[in-house]
Amino acid sequence: MIYLDNSATTYPKPLVVREQMQKALRELGANPGRSGYDMSVRTSQAVYNCRERAAALLGAPGPECVVFQPSCTQALNLVIKGYLKPGDHVVVSDMEHNAVMRPLQALEAKGVTYTKAVVAPGDNDATVDAFRKAMGPRTRLVVCTAGSNVFGVRLPVERIAALCHQYDAKICVDAAQTAGVVPISVTEGGIDFLCCAGHKGLYGPMGTGLLVLRDPGVSLATLTEGGTGTQSQSLLQPDDPPERYESGTLNVPGIIGLYAGMGFVSAMGMERIYREEMGKVSYLYEKLSRMGHVKLYTPPPAIPYFVPVLSFNIENRPSEETGQILAKSGIAVRCGLHCAPCAHEKMGTKGTVRVSPSAFTRPQEMEALARRVRAIANTVQKR
Amino acid sequence: MGKPLLVVSSVTYAMKGRDLLFRRGIRGYVERIPQTEESGCGYGIYVPAGADEAERILQENRIRVLRRMEQEDGP
Repeated sequence: MIYLDNSATTYPKPLVVREQMQKALRELGANPGRSGYDMSVRTSQAVYNCRERAAALLGAPGPECVVFQPSCTQALNLVIKGYLKPGDHVVVSDMEHNAVMRPLQALEAKGVTYTKAVVAPGDNDATVDAFRKAMGPRTRLVVCTAGSNVFGVRLPVERIAALCHQYDAKICVDAAQTAGVVPISVTEGGIDFLCCAGHKGLYGPMGTGLLVLRDPGVSLATLTEGGTGTQSQSLLQPDDPPERYESGTLNVPGIIGLYAGMGFVSAMGMERIYREEMGKVSYLYEKLSRMGHVKLYTPPPAIPYFVPVLSFNIENRPSEETGQILAKSGIAVRCGLHCAPCAHEKMGTKGTVRVSPSAFTRPQEMEALARRVRAIANTVQKR
Repeated sequence: MGKPLLVVSSVTYAMKGRDLLFRRGIRGYVERIPQTEESGCGYGIYVPAGADEAERILQENRIRVLRRMEQEDGP
């Protein structure tokens, strides 16, 4: 199989991730942060090590600012529902995933309103200006993707963060597609809340996600309350992150896998990963752009304006149909709306074929995809 | 005099505090608190020597020391 659906989840995972998860199941089987016996303490230490590594990789002030969540979606829900109150206004981009839009839609019934800022692909000045125009006196939060999960358009989140702070608002960045691919620093970039998937560019297993806080003193209302292993005499949820937001037993094998995945990213180098993956996507774009009956939706994906995600369609074929043909050829891509209907509406599509490489994607796999797309496109005239 | 245990809010802060103290030349050990009547379960940093200075360093670095406990036995 040629796997080109890494925006959904990276596959394969690095060998070290699989090995470390097995080791965790064998040797770190105690509940962390709950006891003082040796295996529990060692497990707690391993979890702590992962927080430290994530803090270093993502520029957090310290390990206490790294909150484990089961997914990026859950992290986004925690910020959106934990920070906003009735009467608040939010600004989002017009390319957001439903992980952002559905929580906001749910909050609309409680008096939260939002405005979409129009992203100008490849024109960061225009994009920042659109966010500025969307801000208002009641704007408390901007939620925006760091990179579109459909079209790969990258947003200037550091500039948008600076804008937010001028308006006394906070920014929450959806880094599902960029964490581990594009360097980012919560501290230097002024990112108040950074939400990451652990199982995509960070090469951890599914069931892992991160919320990274710029200021551990900013308190969010909790989505879940329960046991944290500390201050248990009180029936009130503890105030301090990360445990405040982590009630219940942690996904230790997943966290250990995530630790190993981040180690893989650090060893390879994020800038190298980004450059190489962009090279693969650019190659494909160039090939597809020369084919008849193939439609592309963005300018050529160039660093730093894009992340390595590319969408296309073949004329007169629904994306799912193209995906089925590719699947029969052993090529795995994602089709349809990608849980991001707003992004599709913006680009005037009702679904696309999405291609997303990983660090493990070989150039000949992109060549094979291009050949297969050409063959499918050639059938258009004959239909 | 028992061994001084600086109680902090979580195991994360205990480990962060232990590492911070180590960088400042003070040895500390993360331990589960032995008595839970007052606050329930939790973690602290056992500091064999220099507990006062350790507490000051922790507070200066935004690691809240909830209280200090004295234990009878050493580790």
